[in-house]
Amino acid sequence: MPHQLTRALRALVGDGGLITEPSRLIAYESDGLVAYRYLPRAVVLPTDTDQAAAVLARLHRDRIPFVPRGAGTGLSGGALATGEAVLVSTSRMNRIVALDPIARVARVQAGVVNADLSAAALPYGLQYAPDPSSQAACTLGGNVAENSGGPHCLKYGVTSRWVTGLTFVLPNGRVLELGGWGRDAPGYDLVGVVVGSEGCFGLVTEIEVRLTPIPEGVRTLLAIFDDLEAAGTAVTGIIASGLLPCALEIIDAETIRAVEASVFAAGYPTDAGAALVVEMDGTDAGLDAEADHAEACCRAAGASEVRRARSERERLTLWKGRKKAFGAMGRIAPDMLVQDATVPRTRLPNVLHQVGEIGRTYGLRIANVFHGGDGNLHPIILFDRRDPDEVARVDLASREIMRACVAAGGTITGEHGVGIDKREYMELVFSPTELQLMAAVEAVFDPLGLCNPEKVLPAGWRGSLPKRADQDRVRERGASVANPADPVAGLEGLLPHDRVRIGDAAAPWSAWGGSPPPVVLPRATEEAVAVILRANAEGWRVALAGSGTWLGSLDSGSPPDLVLSTAHMDRVLEYEPGDLTMTVEAGMRLSALDHRLARNRQWWPLDPPGRRRTLGAVVSTGVSGPTGAAWGGPRDLALGLSAVTGDGRAFRAGGRVVKNVAGFDLVRLLVGSCGTLAFVGDVTLRLFPRPAMDRTLVVRGACLEQLREAVSVAASHRVTPTAVELLECSRSNGHSREAILGVRLVGSAERVREERRLMREVLLGVDAGVVDELATRATEEFWREVRLLEEETDLALRLSAPREQTSKLIEAARSVGQMRDGRNALVGLPVSLAMSGGASALRVAVRDLCVESGAAEHWAEHLTGLRRTLAHYGGSLTVVRAPTGILRRLHKLAPPGPMGELMTGLKAVFDPAGILPAIHVPVDLPARNGGGLAKT
Amino acid sequence: MSLAEKAPTHLEGGPRPGDALKFEVDKLLTCVHCGFCLPACPTYRLLGDENDSPRGRLHLMRAVAEGRLDPATPAFQLHLDRCLGCRACETVCPSGVRYGELLEVARDEVARAGGMRWSVRAMLGLFARPAATRAAMAVARAVRATGLPALMARLLPSWRWMAGLRLASGMLAASARWPGLRETGRHLEESGEDTVAPLGRGHVLERASGGGTDGSADAPSERVGLFLGCVQQGLFGHVNEATARVLTVNDLRTMDVPGQVCCGALHVHGGDLETARALARANVDAFTAAGAEMVIVNAAGCGAVMKEYDLLLEHDPVYAERARAFAASVRDLSEVLAGRGLCRGAPLSLTITTDAPCHLLHAQGVAQTPAKMLDAVPGLRVVMLRGAEECCGGAGIYGVTHPDLGGQIGADKVAAVIATDADVVVTPNPGCVMQIGAGLATERVRTRTLQPVEILDESYRQAGRYQ
Repeated sequence: MPHQLTRALRALVGDGGLITEPSRLIAYESDGLVAYRYLPRAVVLPTDTDQAAAVLARLHRDRIPFVPRGAGTGLSGGALATGEAVLVSTSRMNRIVALDPIARVARVQAGVVNADLSAAALPYGLQYAPDPSSQAACTLGGNVAENSGGPHCLKYGVTSRWVTGLTFVLPNGRVLELGGWGRDAPGYDLVGVVVGSEGCFGLVTEIEVRLTPIPEGVRTLLAIFDDLEAAGTAVTGIIASGLLPCALEIIDAETIRAVEASVFAAGYPTDAGAALVVEMDGTDAGLDAEADHAEACCRAAGASEVRRARSERERLTLWKGRKKAFGAMGRIAPDMLVQDATVPRTRLPNVLHQVGEIGRTYGLRIANVFHGGDGNLHPIILFDRRDPDEVARVDLASREIMRACVAAGGTITGEHGVGIDKREYMELVFSPTELQLMAAVEAVFDPLGLCNPEKVLPAGWRGSLPKRADQDRVRERGASVANPADPVAGLEGLLPHDRVRIGDAAAPWSAWGGSPPPVVLPRATEEAVAVILRANAEGWRVALAGSGTWLGSLDSGSPPDLVLSTAHMDRVLEYEPGDLTMTVEAGMRLSALDHRLARNRQWWPLDPPGRRRTLGAVVSTGVSGPTGAAWGGPRDLALGLSAVTGDGRAFRAGGRVVKNVAGFDLVRLLVGSCGTLAFVGDVTLRLFPRPAMDRTLVVRGACLEQLREAVSVAASHRVTPTAVELLECSRSNGHSREAILGVRLVGSAERVREERRLMREVLLGVDAGVVDELATRATEEFWREVRLLEEETDLALRLSAPREQTSKLIEAARSVGQMRDGRNALVGLPVSLAMSGGASALRVAVRDLCVESGAAEHWAEHLTGLRRTLAHYGGSLTVVRAPTGILRRLHKLAPPGPMGELMTGLKAVFDPAGILPAIHVPVDLPARNGGGLAKT
Repeated sequence: MSLAEKAPTHLEGGPRPGDALKFEVDKLLTCVHCGFCLPACPTYRLLGDENDSPRGRLHLMRAVAEGRLDPATPAFQLHLDRCLGCRACETVCPSGVRYGELLEVARDEVARAGGMRWSVRAMLGLFARPAATRAAMAVARAVRATGLPALMARLLPSWRWMAGLRLASGMLAASARWPGLRETGRHLEESGEDTVAPLGRGHVLERASGGGTDGSADAPSERVGLFLGCVQQGLFGHVNEATARVLTVNDLRTMDVPGQVCCGALHVHGGDLETARALARANVDAFTAAGAEMVIVNAAGCGAVMKEYDLLLEHDPVYAERARAFAASVRDLSEVLAGRGLCRGAPLSLTITTDAPCHLLHAQGVAQTPAKMLDAVPGLRVVMLRGAEECCGGAGIYGVTHPDLGGQIGADKVAAVIATDADVVVTPNPGCVMQIGAGLATERVRTRTLQPVEILDESYRQAGRYQ
């Protein structure tokens, strides 16, 4: 390294923070994957975001590549210093910055060890849910890079579900605050894109995560089987029976023997063919019944013995043996390669059989430890690196295992990532278009290719990009007044006549006033491709839609030349109930979907607003409803999708397996992109067993304040209701109000009865009023009202603020309806407020809005003022729906600064000609992309 | 780069740098690089440099074994030298890497490459010579008796060389007997609460269920030898006396074992395996000649190395067999006491907290028994010590060779002890007593550091068992 650079870096991080001597770099030549060795050029150990940013900026100046590194426990070689890079290690950034037990959020530096965060949350009865097997050592920064899972992600989901915000340093050293507590961040889901990017987009220095209550009760079973297939069958049986265990782990004979020989012996019988660990958690009541049920499933599949952990110590021993299994392999072979792939759960027995065959074919010992619940396999190939022939066979067997998994509808990695190890397998799962898109997305973050070079994408893909479209051209195109040839004539011969609607038939999609643009209703994605290609050729501007209900709220520009709607694409393409996944076309209405799933006693637990909601619209807007706090949003429950870019390239993103970290995550980029990036043709959903019982308790009060305490005790109760919703409607001029709180409990009958009792108790305890239970019909009514709040209204907003500013937030929300017009006369309109869970975010709906004769201007000013007020208190205001006249004044095409550059850059990757609507964000977007915990 | 990188499997020619580690290549390959040891390592937690983590050090050793790194490289020496040898990594290692043994071999490699510091060399030389050790200890006791060290520990500033002097003074002062212990039963008797009448000899508590690892298997034996140690005997003679008394009360009369020497732990950790082997042979001889069937050790550091004499003398044709038998007969004092039904003592009004010496917890795998031993003392209020399983930074002569690092690691421990607000922190190892004691003295805290047997001894004394 040049002497000058060394000196500069040392000045930034101090003597102990820079390693340059070759003999001291040896320790950094490998990470958790020892098959490769890359000596870094240097190692830098910054202590905070400022140091890290300064280091990256300095390296950028000299065009020197860098690789982020946490604890170096990764198993795909992601932290190897490829390309003669400088390693930037987060090992000194190991401080928990803030932990708010009431909001259940923590902010940590990237080098904090996963288990240390849970230990810090323990005194408050909270935990950080994702628990990768290496949690005792791996850092949260590494978890974010790899989107780590863990045994319990079957129920709790992977890292992306729990990360709400990031402090992120771009490869050029600029610092961005992405996301943030409150969630309603305008623009694309950059947090979702960065999580799982394997350190290729930049360096994450601080992470904001949600914490979750430690469940009241846990039951852990260990079932012993004669062979692996029987264990796989038991897993399928348990899932099919409607249980949702928090973990289902399978350990094979080879692994059992290694673990029993190690210091972590868990007491498994060493002659067993396979062991299955089943764990269930939640409210204590009902758990025993569930455990009995699971035990019966195991016995039905042929379990020779089923044990139950009788104490916490026994439970931990069971888990210890499972969690340290990889390490214990060192006992039985000098080297091992841990493979990682995911297959649809029902294919498990078959794929396991194939893996065994592959082992025999190549004369290799293969041990299996895996997350049976989500079909995530970890074949461990044992070998001795001193035998070159054996090493060659390991390579061949690995490739064959990958092929078998992909052929079974799976993917090449479920949680370890692609890193350096699986780059060459990427072409097994992704088409050239998909790889090209990933490369282009990466280039938006890292145009010079300095960040984590030679990772994830196969050699030759990175840097071989189509030229980025000129941003100004995109803007200009989006704003221009179109004067194209008549689209209806242009479509002649391209599609059958019944696909096109004009005039009154197009009215449901009319959101712009005047005569509605023609609507094209393709029956399949191929037809959509044809339309989009023609639109590119003709220069038409296209708006994407489902039923058309959201159109007006998303586009503030002039009417498009045509609307492309999925309303006639509503087939179920693939449904295997045992896999808990379903692939459906985007035009499927949510009500139809729910009906279809009910037949198999399953559900997709989201309850987003709207009446005629199509799946495509839900995914496109990325909006979740009251159940979002408990189940996540569309970004968490959409596993994959197929789509068409603005320039007519069809591609698939994600897959149809529950855990999938192959490649960069385009799914979360498209979810919530509001039809600005691509036409979504079908979506693969993650399903759950339908709860046997669904009850709602309500408390009525005079106003929001009266029920606030009730909301917070309900939302923070350890039973974790599926939804806690507080509604307030004001009648006129805000003088007379009424409020109602709904608490929704779902689960097995026994569990719901117990939870209902507990909830009733705490609600009575805060003296909120009479607690009623709604009848089935009334329950549906109540939640329908909540759903329609934002639809049957003229103006819908989402407001958020830090928790300690909740009263300011409520004040601001109430004043939404109190606008002074041009003559300074007060216009008082009825306002409805809704508050989900304990979050300090409000949904606000205003009815009877009249925006004739210049009132739009005043409304825009009024809302801008409110937004400034909220921003002052650290909050935000997002417009969900508003008359076009208001929207146009509130939004602009892209925010200034690096955040805006990222967003326009991403837009240009997918829609280079700008035929889709432009991305809209608030005019005065704050420096942050959202609200958040106080930083230091 | 391919998977097929070769590691040497045999030796060519005569002994060369790195040969000793080449012998151990199979042990080195047990490490699968999983990284679980990183957060368990005090130096990694403090410095964040993987070279200062167990995985990093093993990787350096492997580089030496592979001939890619010269053992004379300052970096190799620096990072091995910085290891506390606490072996907390072994407890968390799922592969069972024998880090402690590998460290000893690697340090031997460093020493032969000429990398041993003069201060370490001098200190190891001192402890290798019994007469010199005794003389030095006598001088130290004389200095201690002046009361000057205790004063210096409290008053010296913390800059430059003064800090080192302050630490040394504190350590010496902390080794003294604490007269205050005698006062602890008094006010209990006065207030009359929870006192029991002194018990007659032979009253035995119920045997602890699931007690010591193997102590309960030991039949009462008359052929018990007590290992005295060098620092333990030189500065903590009162502890050895207390140990003998406590054992006698519990029907174990210790025999005289002439000719016993330093255990060699410091030499093993310092990389002077030859001297360590010589000392081990002398101890094996002494205890065998005396006819001891069981060797009781009350210092965790000594016990750890003595239980591994079999490994140390593995390749010694004459001693290998005898060392195995000897190592198998070594017991930590707490194992012996907790394994037998313990005689009950008089109540002591003390709030205590227990720290686990690394060489008991991680090296010997003895976790429960030290606390169990104190179950025989009624009236004790026991408070948990945060991070009790973490190293105090004493680590043999580490506090002296690395005052900065040792001090920073020790500061954590001292803060944890202060947070308990206990009267006494007990830890069954002289090194830890001195390290923690010095830290507490410089912080001017009233909490005292003792070895647990001292508490038991005082309780017996007040119960009248020595009359």
